[in-house]
Amino acid sequence: MLLLVTHISRMFSVTRGVFWRAAPRLSPLLRPTPPGLTCVSSVGKKDLVDFPVLIEDELEEQFVRGSGPGGQATNKTSNCVVLKHIPTGIVVKCHQTRSVDTNRKRAREIMREKLDVAYKGELSEVLVKKKESVLKKDEKRRRVNENLERKRQFKESLSADSKPENDTA
Amino acid sequence: MWRMSLSTGYRACLGCRTGGSKGTWSFHAVRTCSAPALPAGRITTLQAVDFWRRHFEERGVTEPEQSSQYIIAHLLGAKMIESLGQERLTEFLSQKEMKQLWQLCTKRLSRMPVQYVIEEWDFRDLTLKMRPPVFIPRPETEELVGLVLTDLQGNSGPGVDADSQQTCLEVGCGSGAVSLSLLKSLPQLKAFALDRSQDAVDLTRENALRLGLSDRLKIYLVDVMKDPETVLSLCRSFSAVVSNPPYLFSEDMMSLQPEIFRFEDHAALDGGADGLNVIKRLLTLAPHILSNHGRMYLEVDPRHPPLICEWVDVNVKELQYVETRHDISGRPRFCILQKEKSHKDYEQESD
Repeated sequence: MLLLVTHISRMFSVTRGVFWRAAPRLSPLLRPTPPGLTCVSSVGKKDLVDFPVLIEDELEEQFVRGSGPGGQATNKTSNCVVLKHIPTGIVVKCHQTRSVDTNRKRAREIMREKLDVAYKGELSEVLVKKKESVLKKDEKRRRVNENLERKRQFKESLSADSKPENDTA
Repeated sequence: MWRMSLSTGYRACLGCRTGGSKGTWSFHAVRTCSAPALPAGRITTLQAVDFWRRHFEERGVTEPEQSSQYIIAHLLGAKMIESLGQERLTEFLSQKEMKQLWQLCTKRLSRMPVQYVIEEWDFRDLTLKMRPPVFIPRPETEELVGLVLTDLQGNSGPGVDADSQQTCLEVGCGSGAVSLSLLKSLPQLKAFALDRSQDAVDLTRENALRLGLSDRLKIYLVDVMKDPETVLSLCRSFSAVVSNPPYLFSEDMMSLQPEIFRFEDHAALDGGADGLNVIKRLLTLAPHILSNHGRMYLEVDPRHPPLICEWVDVNVKELQYVETRHDISGRPRFCILQKEKSHKDYEQESD
């Protein structure tokens, strides 16, 4: 008579609420996990900046609750959250507030910013390399043209020299 | 009766109430806590943090550094020590501040939870007043609120009906953390909160007023074990029922840390021999107070989920076990159940 099978969620994969859902046009479940990062416009305070979307399965979260059993049986004030992004190895530590939930959210905000820098870092390296090869080609072309021009001028000067009107003082 | 030889306004230690074998007395005995003398000269904020950290360590007070930091930060008007600027940290404390600090830290010496010492704590995006013996909200319970919000915030799904008013019931509201958090996040929500403790009802009311949420919250002094019918008379179609009921096993009460054992209401913790007394009562009530497809959200002991699943299957028709969710430490912590009225039930009713 059970309507649904009991579902046990994975230890470190905490399904979050609305806060971390991707922008409507992209569902993290349908999109294949890229080896790098996917930039999607985020709906939030920094609307104009494209921060990477976090995929919870790529994150490992640690919260030290002391050695006790947790829940009602424990009363501790420690609320430091450590978040690790497995693909890049980037680690974020957050204990900005007295609320663990808030610290978890902030840790993810910071992680997105760090991933953005990492992503852009990679991106700019690619651009620099591309730029370098373009510059090399331009340089080569310029030298070839210069040589051609020099040859042409030399030829012209040779034919000018052979003209009868030329007087030499 | 034990009386602690500390200054004014001190409750007698809760540990005295329970009788028991000599073993329990020695575990919970309160040694006379003599505070260290005030330093002769002046000390800076940072020096004070360090002083009390060392002193807490010497006295076996848990979380010595955090305790010292939270208390001093609070005294100086901040939530976190990191919020105080370098200037304030290296500034001398005034005589008045020193005196106040000594009073607060002396309380912590008796293992009073930091939340009671500074009389406040944060829960999600709220700051709430705290007062013994009303139960202090735990970080796990912040996730319980998240689960309810996920369902109520969606455009469709359990408990969401765009046309009708969403209402929720919280059983065992304590300081009001859960209900007030839901109200803050859902401007259209109306909430009912119950607790069997007058202290809890008073504190919830106080917090509701401070947060400007009292217009959408009705608070009742009700013991769901003694007067379940009262619950039925409140409302029969809640969109959601949420609870962090007492769920500890009676035998585990004795090994609780002093912060909890001495200062928090045992009735808010002790769930009976198997920790399920209040939970079972809530599960039985659920079909009568939830709207169809409405959900019940419970925070429980990690051993409970399979027991609850089985018990509901046998004993509560119309209530379906939906899923178990884990807390941040990876422990099974939350049970979600849904009211499902079948056609069979409708037919039976019309007979």
